[in-house]
Amino acid sequence: MSDAQATIQKTVTENDVVLFMKGDKMMPQCGFSSRVAGVLNFMGVDYHDVNVLADADIRQGIKDYSDWPTIPQLYVKGEFVGGCDIITEMTLSGELDTLFETNGVAFDKEKADQVRAANA
Amino acid sequence: MSITDEMKACLSTAFSPTQLEVIDDSASHAGHSGNPGGDGETHFNVMIRAQAFAGMSRVARHRAVHTALGDIVPRIHALALDIDV
Repeated sequence: MSDAQATIQKTVTENDVVLFMKGDKMMPQCGFSSRVAGVLNFMGVDYHDVNVLADADIRQGIKDYSDWPTIPQLYVKGEFVGGCDIITEMTLSGELDTLFETNGVAFDKEKADQVRAANA
Repeated sequence: MSITDEMKACLSTAFSPTQLEVIDDSASHAGHSGNPGGDGETHFNVMIRAQAFAGMSRVARHRAVHTALGDIVPRIHALALDIDV
């Protein structure tokens, strides 16, 4: 396993929720990364952010790791959940709440409901 | 052939969709990363409906579209997918 693959595996194993993104959670540098980080921030999820723009090996490595060609990528308990479109759909359908609840990830249910109400 | 037409051809062949829209949204991203010159074919939105996606998870649906698009995906900067049966 390459260094990048080992680093990624360690990161997604040691952190319950990890978002690989362009930029960081306070200053995203891509609209798609910004949308996912914005949802997680608003829902009060404690997550680890990895800025792929800071490391070319990780930027390519995360695409190989998940066999997924785009950024952002969300991982919960080591499992790849999806990119921006999937996270958006799962937020609006409530599936993301269920995923977090199943995995013991704390979040603010009222905030999640607010997102859904605003997009109904 | 434009990338839009290439994508439509790939997706039509792979999934026989009942609805298919491919929108080149590159102009909206002119000057941003991925389309710095403003004239690239870089950002695409795809809406596809096909029975082929029945019973597939969200991730599996996206993977199937990525696979069908083949070498187009690494040539563009961004791809937003709306996939359903």
